Amino acid sequence: MAALAQAFAPYRRYLNSTMLTIGIAVVVALFVSVRYGPFALINSLVLGGMWALIAAGLALMFGVMNIPNFAQGEFFMVGSFTAYFVYSAINNALGKNPPSALAALAPFVGIAAAIGVGAIVGVLVEKLLFAPLRKRTRENWVLNAFLLTAGLAVVMTNGAQIIFGTSFRGITRYWDVDPIQILGVNVSVDRLVSLAIALVTIALFWLFLSRTQTGRAMRAVAQDEVGAQMQGIDLGRIYLLTVALTCALAALAGGTLLFMFPAYPTTGIKALYVSWYVLILAGLGNVGGAIIGGFMVALLQTLTTYFVGEAWQDVVPIVIIVLILLFKPSGLFGSGVKGIWEQ
Amino acid sequence: METTEKNVTVSARVPSLFTWIWNFMGFSWVGVAVFAIFAVLPLIPPFNREDLVRWQIGAALLGAQAIAFDFTAGYIGIVNFGFAAFVGLGGYVSALLAVRFGVSPWIGMFVGAFASGLLGFLTGALTLRLRGIFAAVMTWFVGLALLGLTRNLTDLTRGALGLNVPALLETSSNLPYYYIIFVMMLITLLVLRAIVRSHIGLAFRAIGQNVEAARASGVNPTYYRVLNFTISCAFAGWLGSFYAHFYGILTPDVMATGKTVEVLADAYIGGRMSLWGGAVAAYPFVFFLEWLRTSLSQFAGLNLVIYGLSLILVMIYYPGGLAEAYHALERRLRKDKQ
Repeated sequence: MAALAQAFAPYRRYLNSTMLTIGIAVVVALFVSVRYGPFALINSLVLGGMWALIAAGLALMFGVMNIPNFAQGEFFMVGSFTAYFVYSAINNALGKNPPSALAALAPFVGIAAAIGVGAIVGVLVEKLLFAPLRKRTRENWVLNAFLLTAGLAVVMTNGAQIIFGTSFRGITRYWDVDPIQILGVNVSVDRLVSLAIALVTIALFWLFLSRTQTGRAMRAVAQDEVGAQMQGIDLGRIYLLTVALTCALAALAGGTLLFMFPAYPTTGIKALYVSWYVLILAGLGNVGGAIIGGFMVALLQTLTTYFVGEAWQDVVPIVIIVLILLFKPSGLFGSGVKGIWEQ
Repeated sequence: METTEKNVTVSARVPSLFTWIWNFMGFSWVGVAVFAIFAVLPLIPPFNREDLVRWQIGAALLGAQAIAFDFTAGYIGIVNFGFAAFVGLGGYVSALLAVRFGVSPWIGMFVGAFASGLLGFLTGALTLRLRGIFAAVMTWFVGLALLGLTRNLTDLTRGALGLNVPALLETSSNLPYYYIIFVMMLITLLVLRAIVRSHIGLAFRAIGQNVEAARASGVNPTYYRVLNFTISCAFAGWLGSFYAHFYGILTPDVMATGKTVEVLADAYIGGRMSLWGGAVAAYPFVFFLEWLRTSLSQFAGLNLVIYGLSLILVMIYYPGGLAEAYHALERRLRKDKQ
C-alpha cells in the first residue's frame, strides 16, 4: 500500500480541482455519446470549439487590458455579416455551376474576410474608444471600460439594424456535399470543418502566446504592466494587438458559424452571454481555462437540450454556474489571486 | 404669559424641524425648482398634448428607475446588470395577481415590490460575496435566467404572446398616470436620499470606495451590500408594476438586457452618486429620443444609437455626468460671489 502511494506520489500534483473537473466533464461527455449517440458529442464539440475561441479572446482582453468586454457579441455579428456578403458575392460571381475547387474555397475566403474586417474593427475600437478612455480615466477603469463597451454594443447592434435592416441573412450550408458518416451518424461537412477551424485556431493561438516574442510580451503585460514597460515593451502596441486579436477571434467564430447563426443585428447576443458564462466559469482573464470552459459549457447546453428541452438552454447552465461559483468564487480554474478588477 | 411662551416655542420648533429636514436631506432651491417644473410641466400648453404627456410618463418612469439603479451602482459600486429583470418581476407578479386572483393593482404593486426585493435579497446574499465585476456579471446571469423562465413558463406568463394587464385607473386620460408616477419618482428619490445621507449611506460610500478599508473600520461589506441591493430591487419591482398597469401589456422583453442598458445610460448621463441626476437627465433625454423616433421613423433604432453614443461620450469625456457639471457650475458661482 505504501509502495503504491509512493509510486503515485509524482502524479499527486495533477490531482487538483482543475483535473478533477476536466475528468468529470470527459466522463459526462462519454456517457452522453454512449446514451444519445455520437451526434450529441459532435454537436458539443462544434459549438464548444467556437465558444472557446470567443471566450479566449474575451479572457485575453480582460487579462491584458482589464476590459470586461460587453461588445464581444457585436464583433461576432461583424464576422457573420462580412462572411455572408463576401461569400454570397463570390457565389453569385461563380454562377450556377461553379468549378468544384473554387466552390470549396469560397467559404474560406468569406471566413478570412471576416477575420480581416474583425481585426480592422478592433483597431478602430482601440484607437477611437479605448485609447482616449485610457488617457482620461484615473479611477474606476474596469467599470468605465465595461460601460463603454456596453454603449458600443448598443451602437453596433442598432447601427447594423439601420444599415442592414432586420432581415435574416443566412445560408443553410457552406459546402454543398453529402454529410459524412461517423460512427453511424451523418455529420455535415460544415460542422466538421468548423470544428477543424476551431482546433487549428486554438493551436495557433496557443503557439502564438507561448512561443513567440509578441505573445510572451502580451502575457507579460497581463501579469504586470509596469514591469513589462520596464523591459521595453511598447504597451500601446500590445493593447492594439490584443483588441485586434480579440475582435478577429469573435469575427472568425461569427463567420464560421454562419450556417447556424444567420447574420442579423442581434445575432451576437447568444455568443456574448455564452462566452461570459465560460469566462465566469473558468475564472476571469484565464485564457487556457476559457478554452476548456468553452467545451464544458457547450456540453452543458447539449445536455440541457437532451434532458430538459431546447428552450431551457440558458436557464439550466446559469443555475449550474451560479452553484459552482458558490463553492469556488474565483471560477473553476481561478487562482484566487486578487487582480485590480476585483477590488 | 404662559400661553405666549408656549406659542414661541412651538413657532420656534416648527421652522427648526423644517430646517433640520432641509439640511439633513441637503435640499437646494434649484433642485426644488427643477422638480416643481416637472410637476407642472404636463399642464403647460405645448406639453399638455396627450402624446407629450405619455413621453413625460416615460421620462418619469425611466428617471425613477435610474434613481433606484444609481443607489446600487453609484454608492456600493456594483452595476446591477439584471436590473430590468427585477423591474419585470415586480410587473409580472403584480399583473398575475390582478389577472388570476383579481387583486387590486394598488395592493399588487407592493406585493410586486416585495417579490423583487426578496429575489434581490437572495441574489445579493448569494452573489455579493463575490468581488467587483464578478458580482455585476452574476446579477446579469440572474436576470437572463429570469428572462428565460418568463419566456418558458408559458402557462403562467403566456410567454412572448404577452400578458394583458388590467389598468391602474379607469380613465383614458394620461394626466392622472403622470402624477402617480411623478409621486412614485419623488418617493423613490426622497427615501433613497434619506438613506444615503444617514449613517447607512456613509457605510455604503465607504464600501464603494474601498472594501478593505471599510472592513477594517468595522463595516460589514456583505451586510450593507445585500441591504442596498434589496432596497434597490424592491423599488425596481414597485416601478415595474406601474409599468405593467400603465402600458397594459407585458412581454418577457421588459426583462431584456437592452432595458437595463437604457436605465444605466440614463443614470450615468445624469451622474453617478447623485440619485437626482438620472431623474433630471431623463426628461430632456426621453423627449429628444422620442422626437427622433417619431420624426425619423424610417431609421428604426437611431434613438438607441444615440443612447449608446451618449453613454460612450460620457464615459470617455465626462464620467461624472450631469451632476458633476452642476456641482462644478455651483462651485464657480460661489467663487465669483466671494
